[in-house]
Parts: sequence; structure tokens; C-alpha cells
Amino acid sequence: MTIVTGKIEARSSLQPGRSGVLRKIREHRADYAYVLPAIAVMLIVIAYPIYYTIELSFFNTPPGLQLRDKIFTGFDNYTAILTSQVFWKVTWNTLIWTLGSTFFSFVLGFATALALHRHFIGRGVLRAILIIPWVISAVAASYIWKWIYHSDFGIIGAVLVGLGWTARPPNFIDNVSTVLPSLIVVNIWREFPFAMIMMTAGLQTVPEQLLRAARVDGANAWQRFWHVTFPHLSNVSTVTILLLAVANFNSFIIPWIMTGGGPSNASHIWITHIYELAFGRQRWGVASAYSVLLFLILMTLGYFYVRALSGNERKEERA
Amino acid sequence: MSTIAGTAPRGQPRRRMRVDGWRWVGRIFLVFMVLYTALPMIWMLITSIKSGFAAMQFPPQWWPDAPTLASYQKLLDPQNSVGQDFLRFFWNSLFVSSVTTILSVIVAVPAAYAFSRFTFPGRNFLFFTVLLRNMFPAVIFLVPLFILMRALGLVNTHGSLILTYLTFGLPLAIWLLKGFYDNIPVQLEQAARIDGATRFGAFFMIVMPLSTPGIIATAIYSFIGAWNEYIYAYTFLSKNEQLTLPVGIQRFFSENTTDFPGLMAASFMMSVPVVLLFLVLQRYFVRALTEGAVKH
Repeated sequence: MTIVTGKIEARSSLQPGRSGVLRKIREHRADYAYVLPAIAVMLIVIAYPIYYTIELSFFNTPPGLQLRDKIFTGFDNYTAILTSQVFWKVTWNTLIWTLGSTFFSFVLGFATALALHRHFIGRGVLRAILIIPWVISAVAASYIWKWIYHSDFGIIGAVLVGLGWTARPPNFIDNVSTVLPSLIVVNIWREFPFAMIMMTAGLQTVPEQLLRAARVDGANAWQRFWHVTFPHLSNVSTVTILLLAVANFNSFIIPWIMTGGGPSNASHIWITHIYELAFGRQRWGVASAYSVLLFLILMTLGYFYVRALSGNERKEERA
Repeated sequence: MSTIAGTAPRGQPRRRMRVDGWRWVGRIFLVFMVLYTALPMIWMLITSIKSGFAAMQFPPQWWPDAPTLASYQKLLDPQNSVGQDFLRFFWNSLFVSSVTTILSVIVAVPAAYAFSRFTFPGRNFLFFTVLLRNMFPAVIFLVPLFILMRALGLVNTHGSLILTYLTFGLPLAIWLLKGFYDNIPVQLEQAARIDGATRFGAFFMIVMPLSTPGIIATAIYSFIGAWNEYIYAYTFLSKNEQLTLPVGIQRFFSENTTDFPGLMAASFMMSVPVVLLFLVLQRYFVRALTEGAVKH
């Protein structure tokens, strides 16, 4: 945010003299008409809910949506959360889920973008096939994989038995130790194409002349990648990783449809847990307190996101 | 690039070895990724043409002994209650997604243009506020939005979904389009205005046509997002005849827990419209990202 004010000041200093903010706002009042619809929608659907969530997090709410009968309890909801064992279990799951999904989605997506960068016959078809998982609905993806992992008729189990690796088909998603990795595989399946698209777009902005110059200077493929291509993509990479991290942190559908958080919370992540607290057990106050904590974490991530984006902005302006 | 790779190694066999080494790593990797991506979808298709009995066998039939389109016929038959539901869900999804898409474009275009061209006070603050919407999960907004929608009388209407969906399409839409407008020289508009066009005229005649790929990309993104959205639809709608596909299919399946061929057929048909739309227009999407978001 400091960058933002800095920029505004820099602009206003271009027009010395009577430059009160109010005066500037008045001068530019027509400009606001363009952004007004967007801002209005955002205010209704964001600002009000955030305010309401914060308020609710300090109250105890009896089951049922009779929220008028809420009882003020101060920080009780927060202490209840932070002292519960489920909280730490779920937080650990969320960490593994977010980091694992983000890391592998990015690496696989980037590698695929690189492998598809050079022209060859059928490249467009391959790219199209690889993008499909990202486009189809997460609900469909969850059901497809649930069927693949099925403990009696699943195809992976059948292949493993056919190869003689196991006597009986393994139970992937009803097993405390394999459920989370199994779901992460599904999530990567859906997310790596996004990293691939972003990095494909990024690769197209790497100047060909630089690569040629590096080649003339005797750089091998790896050196060209490491010293020319990769530094050029640092900005796109940052934005991609942050977007992936946020999307993964906020995922809901895959764990919810495939396991509902089970068995014994082994695949509950923050979002599914909050949803269950609110809509399953009707503990709106606790769920809201969870949301506020989530909000604080996301604001921290958001700070880096905005910084990465405004890094882009500043570069644009200098260029 | 390919010409260089083709000509350079002729005199230098050593380098060819090295280049080929990387090429092979890339090829093997691509084969692996294509298998990872495609096999689950192929298995979905194969399962969808099995009978319920054939699907429940161990070891599985790799290719059904008696392939049948019965699951598809059932889903698409308006005489049948399953088909009636499915077609209705399909229509609901189409309606909600289309309206969301049109509204997103109408709202995002002027906003992105303003963020790109004008320097009003608070511009950056507002821009980042819009972007921050991306950060927050649906769950945070569910309870308050549900209450808000109830107050507005929108619960159990498609309006509640459209209003909500608008807001998650908007941030990326505005961001993408802003990048586009940043790259369109202001001089073009100035020239048009010198020739007598109004600000709006210049916008519609010069800027809009040049940003068409961005607008198309924005529209695809909004449409796919709305088509696939699950959690709000799951919470805001309770009447069967209003459900959209993701929730409808879930409800259908929770009543017929062993009908995997039917489920796979439904998953396939739910995916077809968005996949086709995306494949036809994907070059716009990549171009929009290249020219809008990624370029620096």
C-alpha cells in the first residue's frame, strides 16, 4: 500500500499549486463512473460479508439460523479454536495440501510449457489435451477420480493387482495415510494446466535475440534456460505461484466431494472444516472466527500478491 | 527456433547429442503428462458406455463386452424423470453462465479502461481492492451472503448466483483487460478525437476492436467459472428445478450411488460445452495472457 500512496503523490507533484485531494476528486469525478459498477458489486458482495463475519466471530450462535439471538462471548471462539486438536490437525493438512499441490502443479506446468515451446507437428493437439482437466468442472473431476480410486472396482487397484504388486486392491481414499496424497494427485491433475498456460504465455515474451546471442556465445541449452529464460520469467512465475497457492489454500470441491474430510479428519482442510462447522454443525460463531483467522493469513499472502503485481506495474511504467 | 536447431548441429556432432538429449527428456516427459491427463478421461468415457453390471466387475473390463449408449439415452430423454432433471440442470447452467458472462464483460470493460487510462485519486487502491477479491474463498462469504440474499429476496433464484459469480470473474477480467488497454497507444485515441470523435466514440471505434481478444478471453473465463461453480449453488438453491449441473449431478448421484456409468456419462456431458468453448477460443486466452497479464 505504501507504493500506492507514493505513486499518487508523485503524480500530484507534477501539477504544483492548489492540489487538494478533494479538488482532484472533483476534477476526476467523471472517471469514477467507469469503475462504479465494478466497485458497487464488489462492495455488496465483499465489504458487507467481511464486516458481518468479523462481527459474528465474537458471538455464540445457537443452532438454526436465528442469528438475532446471538450471545456476545468475546474471544471465546478464538481460544476454543486455538486450543482444539482438530485445528492443528486441519492446519497441518492444509499446509501439506497447499504446498504439495502448488509445488507440483507449478513444476509440472512449467516443464510442460518448456517441452511444448518448440514447434512440432501435433503440438496444438497436445496442448489442447493437456488443458482439458483445468477446464472441466471440479465436481466432474472428483467423481472421475473417485471411480478410479474405487476400493473394489477402481482401475488403479486392478492394475496393481494385475502386476502382482498387491494381493488386494489398495484402499486409497478410505485410508488415513494415503487419502491426502491421493487427493493432491487429483488436484495437481486439475491445476498444472493453469501453470502451463501462464508459463506458455510468459515464454512467448522471452526475446529470441537474447537466446540467439547466448547460443552464439556458446551457452548450452541448460545455461540458456538458467541465465536467459528463467530470469525473464521471474515475474510470471511469482504471480503464477501465488495464484496457485491461493487457489489451493481455498480449495473445497475435491476434498468435499471425494471424502467429505474423512476418514477421521485426515483430508479436512481449512475450508472444508469451516464449511462443516457452519453448515453441518451450525456453529456459525466458531466458523466465523475461523474465517477471520483465514482472512488474516490471506491478507499476508495478499500483501505479497499485490507486491508482485505492482512490481509488474512499476516495470511497465518504466518501460 | 526450429531452423536454428536444424542447421546448427550439422558441423558439430557433439552439440547435436546434447540437444537431442534434452529433446528426449522433453518427449518422455510429455508422454508421461499426456497419459496422466488423458487416461482418467478415457476411463470416464469407457465406463460411461458400460452397463451398470459390466462396470462392477473385478478385474474390470478394459473395453466393455457389450458397449451401450443407454446411460446417455437415459440422461437425454425428456420422457424419463432422470432425463427431465438433467436437461433442466443443463438449461439452468447455460442460463446462469451466459447472463454472468454478458454482465461481466459489460462491467469489466469500462472499469479496466478507467484503471488503464485515468489517474483519479484512489485509482491504485481501488484496483488492488478489486484484485484482492481473488484471495478470498467462497466459504468466508457464504453465511453473510446467504443472509444478504435472503434480505434481498434472492434465495432460491438464479439472480443470487449471477450476482455472486460476477464478483469472482471480475478481478481477473479487469486485470487482463487493463493489461490490454495499457498496450494500446493513447495516440490512437487522441488521433480519433482530433478527427472529431467523442471519448466514447474513440473508445468504441478504436479501443474496443483492438481489445477483442482480451474481451473474448474474459468472457471464456467468466463462463467457465460460472458453469463449474459448485459451493454457492449448493448453498443458495434448494429447489430441484433450479439446480445447476454440478449440484444437480451430485444430488442425482447421492440417490443412485452405484450407477457409475450414469455418473461418468453425466460428467462427460457436463464437460463438453466448456471444453469445446475453450478449445475453439483457447488461442485468444493464451494471447490475452501474453499481451495483457504477462508482458512487462
